[in-house]
Amino acid sequence: MKLALEQAKLALHNLEVPVGCVIVEDGKVIASGSNRTTETRNATRHAEMEAIDRLLEQWQKSGFSQLEVAEKFSRCDLYVTCEPCIMCATALSILGIRAVYYGCANDKFGGCGSILSLHATTAEQFPSRKAFQEKGFKCTGGIMASEAISLLRSFYDQGNPNAPKPHRPVQISQ
Amino acid sequence: MVVKPAPTWKALLTHPSYTRAMNWNIRYVPDKITTNEQSTVDVFASVVEPRITNTLIRKLNQVAPLENLHHVKRVQKILFEGKAQLSVILYCSLGQENQLDGIPDEVLELIKSYQLHPFFTKVAKYAASSKEEWEEQCKLWPTSYHPPTYNIDGINGFSEEDSQKVFHFMKVAIGLTKSGHLGNQVVNAAVIVDPATRERKMKGIQLALTTVKYGLIPMSLVYTLGVGLSNNHTLEIPQDRSLFPSSELSTCQSDHVDHLQSSTSSPAKRQKTELLREDETVSEASANGLPSEMMRPYLCTGFDIYVVWEPCTMCAMALVHQRIRRIFYAFPNPNAGALGSVHRLQGEKSLNHHYAVFRVLLPEEILDNVVSNCA
Repeated sequence: MKLALEQAKLALHNLEVPVGCVIVEDGKVIASGSNRTTETRNATRHAEMEAIDRLLEQWQKSGFSQLEVAEKFSRCDLYVTCEPCIMCATALSILGIRAVYYGCANDKFGGCGSILSLHATTAEQFPSRKAFQEKGFKCTGGIMASEAISLLRSFYDQGNPNAPKPHRPVQISQ
Repeated sequence: MVVKPAPTWKALLTHPSYTRAMNWNIRYVPDKITTNEQSTVDVFASVVEPRITNTLIRKLNQVAPLENLHHVKRVQKILFEGKAQLSVILYCSLGQENQLDGIPDEVLELIKSYQLHPFFTKVAKYAASSKEEWEEQCKLWPTSYHPPTYNIDGINGFSEEDSQKVFHFMKVAIGLTKSGHLGNQVVNAAVIVDPATRERKMKGIQLALTTVKYGLIPMSLVYTLGVGLSNNHTLEIPQDRSLFPSSELSTCQSDHVDHLQSSTSSPAKRQKTELLREDETVSEASANGLPSEMMRPYLCTGFDIYVVWEPCTMCAMALVHQRIRRIFYAFPNPNAGALGSVHRLQGEKSLNHHYAVFRVLLPEEILDNVVSNCA
């Protein structure tokens, strides 16, 4: 989680919403990602997507088959500073990640319990489809949450220059 | 481990949740679930003298507030033999078998002291999600209706002209499933349209023309996984230039794409950037080729997407992130659909953006064409 927080700080340094993550296999970090929504002007480039894409790209280059990729994911854990959103949680569930550990919850669009509970998906309906069918994963939140929150706070305190003009004036609270 | 092939068109079209239509039709998919038969609950009401109504309501609101029925008006006013007659809901017995048992003593006392003659009546259980529904509800008992605070074209119906445009773009999207099909597996396709540009130019222009294989936005990951993924998410690959009616647009677009291809190394990343660039290009084209930062929309703000299959939670959430304005889909996805079938993202209040969702019903022959082309 400390490494994920490092990734989040990297994002903050780049004026991105500070969220970061690492993917761990057999106790080793095999991919990391930080939020790049601003740089790419693509609101779906969340830290999780960055890390997943890096990993998939790497695995594709190594010539792994789809089944091998699925098998590898089922031995991977994700550490992310903020609860994955609904989009990322579905992606993780499709990929069949083993476990997700997150820092702070996301009460606006969290997909691991806050708004939807995509980690609790059961695949009972389609037992014959094993690869890339949404699967549940173990999910634990609240790990070093205060560090994650203070990073987010320092980002929003400085104001998000890339957000559209607010409809109401932003209140600066102390 | 066996990978089951993706479902076939035939299997999906004969799924019990799929209803066939006779004609092209657009149906709003509301934020909240509504059923054709109105859900009602029994309430205990009574005709009351107008002069005591205010006092009675005040007392009732204290001892028997209408919990979970905030949309139901406490008082009904009807004309009876030329005079206004007021009735008041005394008590709502949500889900109780024997309603008489559940009446609180305080309500019984009020009935006694005002010499009321209570009767059972039915009221709508859920707040109306459309004006038509609200009108129906009011035949039972008056309710209040709050149309969505956002005003997105089409929620209150489409003009003939607008409907034709919607049908046109849906046909384009369906056409893409044919060009992208793999065996007889179901593939998904999507077209993103900037309605403002379309109107300014007085002709239909598809913006980010996207075809498809699997999922809309986090598609790079799906792309990398390759075929055989059992869910149908879309993948953005601008391919058929002939589908762009405006040559100006296509030139502009390919320039951008070429530039990007040379500057990015990974295919996965390129997929993403292309999508993004297309959006930008489009808006630039709309400003007569002026690459103005001001004209660049914030993400996909104001754009519509026509997608053949109802998106999953991943794709639907990606569309929230991208601030799409309206989603039109043709076929519901009973296993994974996030816009009405399994989840209903458009009704998740906590999300920071809400789009309007429409289902486009297709006539039989279009479906038969799709099936036979893919079989």
